[in-house]
Amino acid sequence: MTTDSAAAGRAATRTGRSRGRRLSVQRTLPLALGFLLAAPAASPAPNPPGDLSFVRLTESQYRRAIHDIFGNSIRVDDSAVDRGAREGGLLAIGARKLTLSAAELERSEALAQRIAEQVIDPRRRATLIPCTPNDAGLPDDACATRFVARVGLFLFRRPLEDVEVRAYVAMANAATHTLDDFYAGLRASLVGMLVAPDFLLRLERSEPDPDRPGTMRLDAYSRAARLSFFLWDSAPDGGLIEAARSGELLTPEGLIRQVERLLNSPRLENGLRAFFSDMLGFDEFATLTVDSSLYPKFTKNVEDDAREQTLRTIVDQLLHKNRDYRELLVTRETFLTPSLAAIYGVPLARSQEMGGAVPWVPYRFADDDPRAGLLTHVSFLSLHSHPGTSSPTLRGQAVRENLLCQIVPPPPGDVDFSFVQDTNNPDFKTVRQRLSVHRENPTCAGCHSLTDPIGLTLEVFDTSGVYRTTENGAPIDPSGELNGKPYEEITGLVEILRQEPAATSCLINRAFSYGAARTPTRDERAWLGELASELRRDGVKWRDLMRRITQQPDFYTLGTEA
Amino acid sequence: MIARGDLRRHFVGTATIGACLACVFLAAAESAGAESAGAETRGYVIAMVHTATYADTDTCPMGGNGGPVELRTRRVMGAGYSEAEALEIVANEGRDSEGNRVEAAQLFGSFGSGRGWGGLEINPGNAPYLLPDPHIETAQGRFAPGFNLDGRVDPDDFEDPETHEKGVDNEIWRVIGCFDTFHVRKPVRAYNENITWDAVLDGMPAWLISVSGEDLSRDGDVTVTFDRALNVVLRDATGGLLSGATYTIDSDPRSHSVFRGRIDNQILTIEPGDFSMQGESQFYAILRLAHTHLRLQMLPDGSVTGLLGGYQPWSDYYQWLAVRGETDGQIDLPGVYYAMKRLADGVPDPATGENTAISATYWLEAVPAFHTDMSGGVVSVAVGPGPKLSGPAAIQIVAPPSETEAQQ
Repeated sequence: MTTDSAAAGRAATRTGRSRGRRLSVQRTLPLALGFLLAAPAASPAPNPPGDLSFVRLTESQYRRAIHDIFGNSIRVDDSAVDRGAREGGLLAIGARKLTLSAAELERSEALAQRIAEQVIDPRRRATLIPCTPNDAGLPDDACATRFVARVGLFLFRRPLEDVEVRAYVAMANAATHTLDDFYAGLRASLVGMLVAPDFLLRLERSEPDPDRPGTMRLDAYSRAARLSFFLWDSAPDGGLIEAARSGELLTPEGLIRQVERLLNSPRLENGLRAFFSDMLGFDEFATLTVDSSLYPKFTKNVEDDAREQTLRTIVDQLLHKNRDYRELLVTRETFLTPSLAAIYGVPLARSQEMGGAVPWVPYRFADDDPRAGLLTHVSFLSLHSHPGTSSPTLRGQAVRENLLCQIVPPPPGDVDFSFVQDTNNPDFKTVRQRLSVHRENPTCAGCHSLTDPIGLTLEVFDTSGVYRTTENGAPIDPSGELNGKPYEEITGLVEILRQEPAATSCLINRAFSYGAARTPTRDERAWLGELASELRRDGVKWRDLMRRITQQPDFYTLGTEA
Repeated sequence: MIARGDLRRHFVGTATIGACLACVFLAAAESAGAESAGAETRGYVIAMVHTATYADTDTCPMGGNGGPVELRTRRVMGAGYSEAEALEIVANEGRDSEGNRVEAAQLFGSFGSGRGWGGLEINPGNAPYLLPDPHIETAQGRFAPGFNLDGRVDPDDFEDPETHEKGVDNEIWRVIGCFDTFHVRKPVRAYNENITWDAVLDGMPAWLISVSGEDLSRDGDVTVTFDRALNVVLRDATGGLLSGATYTIDSDPRSHSVFRGRIDNQILTIEPGDFSMQGESQFYAILRLAHTHLRLQMLPDGSVTGLLGGYQPWSDYYQWLAVRGETDGQIDLPGVYYAMKRLADGVPDPATGENTAISATYWLEAVPAFHTDMSGGVVSVAVGPGPKLSGPAAIQIVAPPSETEAQQ
């Protein structure tokens, strides 16, 4: 980075902060409350100018940030935040709409106490605390200042203002006086930082964009955080923060350098996993219930393994093998554990030591096996079923909404489902038969025509994902038609989905929305549409998609809806 | 009382059986390479092995041996106390009215370190011959699960309650059938074995069966092979054995037994031979049978269930019981020891003529499983979804069959 560009970056930052800020009461109130709760002894930071918005850290982002800043040996034994609310198909979008509840703040404080205790542990001081006090029983302004400034830089994803540093040092000194322990004082100030909104929320500040007069852009530190949480699912590292400080990140060349660095890091896998966990609704595993008396193969291990199987497959295909995203819908390559193999009904040679880690074995389903693609994974099949029965409607809805970004309206409140759910009806043994009657009700027919053709093909897999050919003794008919294209079985369905243009545009829209934590604006949707056309032609490769999104200036705005 | 010399001869006899069986197993292992692969080989993992029992009103005409309370009461009375005093001592955790510990009220196998018996630094459960034979009541009656091992129908032989085969030899049942814990029948299993099997299952190598034949859905000749796995079992969500799991076969010939067999009407039987399976567990250290019989029903869900029987070194069985002690086992160890020695009916010691083995029968359940060899090649295929419940989870609170049903 040149001196000029760095100076330009700093100037841009100053320019942005010189403008008046616009904050709604809805936004400022919880922030202020949160800060008061977090740092009662500290004075609030100076109000930065420009637009301000915030996004809650997810559980995994919280955990990764702590580990990246303090090391993997720090135990994060609870979740500070709830999983949030899904909006526009993503928790990431909902995260911009939610504040922190009182209960979450309480949990955050308790967790912060446990984390801070570990950070000041004598065995870690040499590594995590950059200085030694002159007297461990007395306050030490210089050492406390160094600690607060250094840790605060990474926790808040920006340098602390002097007034903030003084406030947290004062907090440390007060605790040191009370407890006659310098490190206990540091612990108190660290707890204060860990429960501050600046850590628990990604505060995104915008400033005028000098390259696009009349528009706003994220300031350098907000840009660094957005990039990092998008690509790595964690807080910015030293390189990104330095690039933000120097202004490099606000230049096209500097942005490219940083993006390439992030894309070539092993941490990219974390970002990929976090995105697909959100897109595929894997948070719902937390409340998944499968009736073990009906599906004894579906153990807790299987539940955990199923999620990991899909994520491992995605990482392998998109990162390690640089495959096209659409291949995920048809690939027979995956990874299995012994418990999963039993559900899939395939042999899996294993060399697991007693008490040893569960072995993950690369596996390719045979060409005549009905398993092909993510829709035939246990994760998808079990997640979109009822506890005691499979559900063509839920599975079809999930395909439409999660993979094609289409909206399936909820059923009217007065629909009688008793006939559909009567699995013991001797005259209608299969759900296909029962749903055909259900669809005779015109109120129901519209939505079911969207979901059922897909879901009925997936009926060859029960709730737990075990393959079957009959239901209540009657043969299951897996044939169907999607977008006017008929198919005979599951492999036909997934091939049609692979070719479906909406599959690509959905991924691209979700990726942009996930990274920006908001829905795209109209102009952005137009750009994303063009991008989808290009990638359909050239291949939907993950790194390429990330590169294209993160180099788009619109990605670094709060959008008109923000 | 048995002399120390008798004990030495007993173990010599056991070693002889072991050596004899080893010869057979080595021969079997050598012949395994020549086994017909068959057009179909189905694999199974054993979900449950359990002493087969059948208790009814005729089993213990003298009232039975009871459980731990009755056992301790008898022992205290044997030490000179009245019945009332004995009951009070037992109720008072083995102490008399003055608070003194009464040694006779202790169960064997439950001693702490440093405690002995009768002034000896030894646990009587491990040296039952040091105590006199208490002459436990042994099981009588018409029925016992099992096989006619010796081909004869003797007056005191049992009748199998399901097949009604006459001449059933099951002296193990005769020994243990009048203790409360074993005085059960399907679907109830003996307490000690039930909890023990459940406990050791996750720590011992899985036991495997494979059946090879031209078409296992039809009648015909088959080959039945037992092996031990290199892996422990996988369980399902109910605690039973996971159907369709994969196990790697241990090439150790000491746990490899091959039998010629046959399927008739989905009943699998074998020609008698020798069987051995190492358990590497506290309780099922090894299961060895001579003149082995098998009768398994092949169920529509792909699992198999039935009986495995033969002549078992009675010291093996006694060891299982002694390891768990009288507290968990709820039996009288010296009583069982002497009864086994007395009722042993197979594999006489060439030198002494004393029988070293006792006829035994086990319930056996197995669920479909894939088997692979050490190189990962699939050698047996899991067929069928398996039962909803199997192994330790299969105990259901259901009423046993009525006397009439059982005798039909």
